[in-house]
Amino acid sequence: MAATRRATTWAAIAAAAALALAGCGGGGGSGGSGSGAGNGGGSTGPINVLVGASAQYPEQQKEWFTHIKDVFKQRTGADVNFETFASAADEQTRIQTAVVSGEGPDVYSLGTTFTPVAYSTGAFTKLGPAEWTAVGGKDRFTPATLAMSGPNDTDQVGVPFLSRPFVMAYNKALFQQAGLSGPPTTWDQLVEYGKKLTKDGVHGVAVGYADNYDPWKFVWMYANQYGNPLIDGKQVRLDDPTVVRAYQEYFGLLTEDKIVNPEAVGWSNPQALASFAAGKSAMMLMTTPTSIPTLDASPIADQYVYAPMPAVPPGEAALPAGGRPATTIVSGDNIAVADYSRNKDLAFKFVELVTSEAEQAHYTSVFGDLPANAAAATTIINSNAKLAPIIEAGKGAVATPFTGAWSEVQLALTNVAVQSRPELAAGAVPQGAIAGRLAEAQQAAQQALDRAGQ
Amino acid sequence: MPAGAVRQARKAGTTGRPLWLMAPGGLLIALVILVPAVLALWMSLLQLDQYSLRTWLSAPFVGLGNYVEAFVGSRLLHSVWVSVAFGVLTTLLTLPIGVAAALAAHNAFRGRALVRSVFLIPYVLPSFVTATIWRTLLQPSGAVNESLSWFGIDGGLWLIGDRSFWTLVLVDTWAAWPFIYLLALAGLQVIDREAHEAAALDGASWSQKLRYVVLPYLRGPLALAVIIATLSHINNFTLPYVLFGSPAPRPVEVLPMLTYTTSFQTVRFGLGSAMAILSVVLIAIPLFIYLRAVRLDTGNRAGER
Repeated sequence: MAATRRATTWAAIAAAAALALAGCGGGGGSGGSGSGAGNGGGSTGPINVLVGASAQYPEQQKEWFTHIKDVFKQRTGADVNFETFASAADEQTRIQTAVVSGEGPDVYSLGTTFTPVAYSTGAFTKLGPAEWTAVGGKDRFTPATLAMSGPNDTDQVGVPFLSRPFVMAYNKALFQQAGLSGPPTTWDQLVEYGKKLTKDGVHGVAVGYADNYDPWKFVWMYANQYGNPLIDGKQVRLDDPTVVRAYQEYFGLLTEDKIVNPEAVGWSNPQALASFAAGKSAMMLMTTPTSIPTLDASPIADQYVYAPMPAVPPGEAALPAGGRPATTIVSGDNIAVADYSRNKDLAFKFVELVTSEAEQAHYTSVFGDLPANAAAATTIINSNAKLAPIIEAGKGAVATPFTGAWSEVQLALTNVAVQSRPELAAGAVPQGAIAGRLAEAQQAAQQALDRAGQ
Repeated sequence: MPAGAVRQARKAGTTGRPLWLMAPGGLLIALVILVPAVLALWMSLLQLDQYSLRTWLSAPFVGLGNYVEAFVGSRLLHSVWVSVAFGVLTTLLTLPIGVAAALAAHNAFRGRALVRSVFLIPYVLPSFVTATIWRTLLQPSGAVNESLSWFGIDGGLWLIGDRSFWTLVLVDTWAAWPFIYLLALAGLQVIDREAHEAAALDGASWSQKLRYVVLPYLRGPLALAVIIATLSHINNFTLPYVLFGSPAPRPVEVLPMLTYTTSFQTVRFGLGSAMAILSVVLIAIPLFIYLRAVRLDTGNRAGER
């Protein structure tokens, strides 16, 4: 992959080239063969669909592509071409290039936290009553999954496609040995359990402090439970005492409570999961159904149980006034139709197909990601005891603020964790240091939010 | 040669050359280099972000606003300092290793071909692979700390805190010294056999030969190697990105990382472009000095020798 050597350069050149193309008026057009001009608006495709490449199930994904192609061809007579992106960064670049050039895939799969940024580009088709009807109506989706479709009930671009709520997993056998019967229900209880479980080379919980995404989710979760949604109208609230407290509690699992392996300072999420899978940690925090393949292939395949993370924040006996019982962000993928698409009718038919009950159930059985389709979700709750707690957690998911500035807020929160890691490794992150970093984060995030409001 | 004669010779040389033959190359350069460069320059003057990306032609013009923000409101200066320190240090470390390796592999011995091939392995490995391997080795309980613990040394954490800077320097040194080695080896090949023989006849010792025969010959190629190596270290994005992830720890927040984060993670292409333009300026300075120093005029240089 010598091409990544100067990824920025190339990405910049790609973007610039796209700009150049757009400047030329985007003539010619790479639209479908035989566009249906005299066809009563009904075009004949093919439609191009961009989805994330499945690293865990590449073969199954190919089969799924073929399956969807066949069904879609049968129903509409049109072809579907799938393209994949390898990473979130890759996805961003592809979308940015398409936005600038007005050329590219007709249908995009968008991560929920990236949807606000995609929405703010204005490059995706707004979903009015007609569009919602075309994809089977809003009623077909689990209500919580709709929270990241758009900034409000009427301005929406993303149709829920997959749900990937964050939960914890615990090791049944280790819990029994420590005399614990079920998952903790408050964070204080979790710490208490963790202390009981930390012995003989086993640690209470596994946390990926060096992950590129996990830290901000913890901080967001604690802050919400303390009553701070991080963005309040036009005001960013990162310099709030609740956020400092959130970081202190998050780091405190390691430095104060000592229920985390000190090596976790260098762990990303997969490494934390590996520790749990090896039976070296009794609980795995901030994990999703994507952990199933790893855990099923591990020595603890029969021992792990999922549960929602506690909704009562550390140091509190009950949810404080104004606090929200947030344990997971609205996580997963939306599916959106590009505004420049010449095949919108077909594109929405495609969205209808892949969000239908049958296809959603099929998708879950192949990939493990949970359905956004309400009926398919209910079937799983009733039939799959392992996944049911995750779906329950997903129902109570709390949406991250829907603003184009969110990516900057998220980055600022992650950055505070990244810069605090040396002190975390040394054994204590001073409150002043956190507050200082948060002041900087506040400034960057507030500026971003101000730009969003312009 | 008197100055007038030189000018005369040059003039005679340039007239009548079919310069139009360069047109295809010129066109390509314009398309591949000039157009994107001009676009980047233009983008750096716009408030180009997620809100204006779609209609980028009408994105608000902010003049030098992005440049001002880069200097005042971002960590650009810090990144410049980190990048330069990293580039220069890495080059200084690779230089003696590369030259020593070239001297060792220059003379014929059994197995030389094998040694020369092995020397090139770090260089031909894609940066992505190098970084992934080292990232794995340098984990808290990775192979490096494991080996150190045999000697009773606690390796500690390599990928966070102030030490991450030295990790970056060391890993890039590991990956980049063969470049110096290659150019030094090429330099050694052009030394006339007679020069060696003459030195031997004069009874020069090994170190004298190195000092008065070999190194003077190497000066040209090594100067070029040093300048190119430093610039490519400063430009290296893959290594820090894969080793440390984004956002990067402050001590390794090199200029390409900052530009990447600004452009592609916070979707501020205008500000990112301004940073990119500033990095080009930064890189152009040593390049300019070098080009002035060697005056890429081989005709003249031959005369001087």
